[in-house]
Amino acid sequence: MISEKLKKVILSVLELDDWDIRDETTAGQVPGWDSLSHARVISGVEDAFGIRFQTREIVRLSTVGQLQELIDQKAKK
Amino acid sequence: MIFASPAFLAFAALAFVAALACPARLRWAILLVASYAFYASFRKPVLLAALALVTSGSWAVALATERESDERRRRLLCRLGVALCLTALAGLKYVGFFAGSLNPFAGSGALRSGLTGPVAAVGVSYYTLQAIAYLLDVRDGVVPAERHLGLYALNLAFFPKLLQGPIERAGKLLPQLRESKRPAAADLAAGAQLFLWGMFQKVVVADRLAPFVSAVYGAPRHYQGLPLVLATYLFGAQLYYDFAGYTDMALGVARFFGVRLTQNFNVPYLATSVADFWRRWHISFSSFLLDYIFRPLQLALRDLRTWGNPVALLLTFALSGLWHGPTWSFALWGLIHGVYLATGALFSRTAGRIHKALRLEGSRTLKALQIAATFNLVCLAWVFFRAATPGDAFYIVSRAVTGLPRSLAELAAGQHADTMLFLGESPAEAAFAIALLIAAPLLRGLVAEKPREPAASWRSAWLRTAAYAGMLYCAVFLGSAAQSFVYQQF
Repeated sequence: MISEKLKKVILSVLELDDWDIRDETTAGQVPGWDSLSHARVISGVEDAFGIRFQTREIVRLSTVGQLQELIDQKAKK
Repeated sequence: MIFASPAFLAFAALAFVAALACPARLRWAILLVASYAFYASFRKPVLLAALALVTSGSWAVALATERESDERRRRLLCRLGVALCLTALAGLKYVGFFAGSLNPFAGSGALRSGLTGPVAAVGVSYYTLQAIAYLLDVRDGVVPAERHLGLYALNLAFFPKLLQGPIERAGKLLPQLRESKRPAAADLAAGAQLFLWGMFQKVVVADRLAPFVSAVYGAPRHYQGLPLVLATYLFGAQLYYDFAGYTDMALGVARFFGVRLTQNFNVPYLATSVADFWRRWHISFSSFLLDYIFRPLQLALRDLRTWGNPVALLLTFALSGLWHGPTWSFALWGLIHGVYLATGALFSRTAGRIHKALRLEGSRTLKALQIAATFNLVCLAWVFFRAATPGDAFYIVSRAVTGLPRSLAELAAGQHADTMLFLGESPAEAAFAIALLIAAPLLRGLVAEKPREPAASWRSAWLRTAAYAGMLYCAVFLGSAAQSFVYQQF
């Protein structure tokens, strides 16, 4: 389940007013989320949640749901 | 064996018959033998040995990686596998270059006469990247490790794509090879059409443009202004038709075996930005760069904030230049593209705001300007790709601009038309080249997409049949004497 916080971060970084972001949403389905803006989204998430990803944890993520799971894991520690 | 030769056609026909005649579960073996036999025809045992070594090494490492549960050991194993591939690549390509007394500080000589030296490493650059992609995919759980060594070996060695790619992903090619389905009639028709169109592009268009380019790039200091500009544009066209021609021939041959390879091109010169160009040119290579070099690099550099992307792009494309060859010319070419892309990354949002302010956003005028600008930026970079040395490249770039007014004035006064316009070739040759440059995109519109669908109507079927007949005639009677593929030397 995507948290409101994660959704807000993504929308804010990509300068979108609103977009339907769900577990199964991929980057390609969100306007402006391409290979160049990807790093900004990741940095934005790290800043917002106060966590740090390792490159190998995120390099093969394909859906926002997977990103949320990773955030939850990190937040627990 | 070059693709556009009777020997290759005979070989492919033999392989086709053998593959159809044998039972489906053994088809991989026939194709594997055929692929190694094809590679053996280059009479360089070291190439076969390297292919076998990289194949068995990456296959074993992938299996071991998948079985390993400890994360650190998985990554170590994967690194060993990648190191093996890179060693084979470096050993064959770059040692060969140094040993062949080609001074790496001199230049690329992208089209050295005869293309003798660099062909020593034919195919290596392509299958090693494929193996590296496979190892990384297995490490990250994107594809399962392949247990069948024969199938995996075929995945790397499959002869239609062995020499110049496309660089296939295991997830896409292995399932097709495993399924080993018989080609349908539609596959044979599409294969023949693709092959013929590819051969036309290479043998008739690209090879006929080559002498014009060679005349100028072979002795650039004899020229200034207009001939330098024309030769550069013609090289852009030559390189495209050469490589796209090869790709279509490869895709066509693969289709005869019921295999669909990845398309490498998507009208690259209609790109509206250099970033867009790289989504349309040598697609299998640029997507390798994106997935396996740029993405990890970009994430590793994300603390640089705004500068992360530009630095990652510069590094990625500098590396891509070196992949083509260990010379300053290729490194410069790659760096130039890196600078283009880095600049684009830094200023794309500003540019977007300017377009909006000028009310140009989404307009045809803007698109036309973007296409023209991109084409010229790419051709400017091609100068470094093609020129024999960086010195020649800088000469060409500076004299093309500074010499242009004078050469145009001379042309207007009726002087030196033969060198200025025809670049030393006869007017008839020049006229034929121009006709080809006009006809080729029109033909492409007619035939290129269609092999994937049946004819829409009887009229279009007749038109296409006439087009193919014409192309066959040209290829047989009007094609240039067989020249090597440019990208085969990478």
